[in-house]
Amino acid sequence: MISDITLGQFFPGKSLLHRMDPRVKVLLAIAFIVAIFLCKYVLTYALILLFTLFLIAVSGIPFSTILKSLKPILFILVITTVINLLFTGGEGEPLFSWWKIRIYEVSLWRAGFMALRVVLLVIAASLFLTYTTSPIALTDAIESLLKPLSYLKVPVHEFAMMMTIALRFIPILIEETEKIMNAQKSRGADLSSGGLIRRVRALIPIIVPLFISAFQRAFDLATAMECRCYRGGNGRTKLRCYKIHFIDVFMLLLFSVLIAAICLGNRYLPGIVGWGYSL
Amino acid sequence: MDILTLNHVSYTYGRGTPFCVDALRDVSVGFEKGKITGLIGHTGSGKSTLVQMLNGLLKPDEGQVLLDGADIWEKPKEIRSVRFRVGLVMQYPEYQLFDETVRADIGFALRNMGTPKEEIDERVREVAGFVGIGEDLLNKSPFDLSGGQKRRVAIAGVLAMQPEVLVLDEPAAGLDPRGRREILGGLCKYREKNHASIILVSHSMEDMAAYCDNVVVMRGAELFAQGTTVEVFARAEELQKVGLDTPQISHVAAKLREAGIPLEGELYTVDGVAEAVLKLLRGEGKA
Repeated sequence: MISDITLGQFFPGKSLLHRMDPRVKVLLAIAFIVAIFLCKYVLTYALILLFTLFLIAVSGIPFSTILKSLKPILFILVITTVINLLFTGGEGEPLFSWWKIRIYEVSLWRAGFMALRVVLLVIAASLFLTYTTSPIALTDAIESLLKPLSYLKVPVHEFAMMMTIALRFIPILIEETEKIMNAQKSRGADLSSGGLIRRVRALIPIIVPLFISAFQRAFDLATAMECRCYRGGNGRTKLRCYKIHFIDVFMLLLFSVLIAAICLGNRYLPGIVGWGYSL
Repeated sequence: MDILTLNHVSYTYGRGTPFCVDALRDVSVGFEKGKITGLIGHTGSGKSTLVQMLNGLLKPDEGQVLLDGADIWEKPKEIRSVRFRVGLVMQYPEYQLFDETVRADIGFALRNMGTPKEEIDERVREVAGFVGIGEDLLNKSPFDLSGGQKRRVAIAGVLAMQPEVLVLDEPAAGLDPRGRREILGGLCKYREKNHASIILVSHSMEDMAAYCDNVVVMRGAELFAQGTTVEVFARAEELQKVGLDTPQISHVAAKLREAGIPLEGELYTVDGVAEAVLKLLRGEGKA
């Protein structure tokens, strides 16, 4: 079924991460991504890996779900690793050489680091933004963080409204697609056999009704909004007001420490411990 | 003889996720051949899930669905042939229309079945007649029709397969009384002509009493009651406890009886009560 896709699925819960202010979570997600790219050295990578594991444990999201979220990037992951392994040169004796392929020790490390980066990136983004933050809270946070831009006449509120509506309609459209597919299957539509052209043509009976109902919904929504005198963000108050709590301050501090530790670690650890590669 | 049988069927949506919901729990029920069986129950009682089991849109987690005694999932690759034999009209089926003309849309299932061209045209005209779609509408775009006409075209698109069993999920929802009568009447005509069985999901107890031979009642993912219409409606108090009702006219009959008017028989339709009252009046006239 289509609805099985974990397309940025919110995972309801009451964990530390769930209770954080969504604005802080957006900022921390960005900070985390920066932190990942700051890492240059085995031990700093180890540090950020440990920290990610800590976040997963705190979020209370099952580990299997996290692994599932990595499935869509598997292809990218393999490509990056292979390219890094084969096509980034190194110095000295290659570890392995056959025909024109030479694998150096340094490219082994580099490929490993690269793969780890991509994996951590996806885990961090889904952990902070999609698994523990409801789509509504997320758009609220983005609207509030982009607020300064509205002084430059950027239509921030309209932008956030569009995002909210789009996110809100994804599950509805998925449900609708499923309904239409079932109706056409009941009339003997064959969606899963035949060549490419036959399969594409088999989609027409699904796409046409889907478009028609999507447009109909859009018109209905516009009418409903006008009936309630919606006229954009001016003077509008919020149903949900966010406040910074102790957890948010604590996490911000924790992140500052993490980033400081990574910067210091990159600089001094190789001199002290003296092993591993840096990029 | 049962044409369709559910044998200890269970189904859960979203298995293994925090959102899982039991839609059917150990449901065993038979649908009699050649009869009209009504399926009633509150929203969320598992009616729509049950209906989707019948033509293999959903596969039971546990248990079997038997069509004429054979498990429909015995050869999963041939499930399409089951769908041609068990025609399913979904709720608000007008959303399924897509083709350029009404004629082509009704013929969609027939083209999927591989029916020869000349026969398609003939059958399309025949089923359009059952649902009251005139010859003049056949070349129009289905999107130019009114809501009621779209509904009829969508139902015709399933009737065209000439299924042995016709399953309809609220075919008359949101229609005016005349539209209801015409559509349900058309289905009865189809049944007589093709000796088909019908399974009708409805919220209208009046329609149940007027059209159905048997009634199946669902409640909270489980089977609550099944039997002939008279048997099930005789359990009025139990039905009311689960938030369902008997036809309005049966309340009138009950009140009349309470007031000391000795109406005879099992009275669940307006015509039935009218007849009983007339009989009484004539009887008194003679005496």
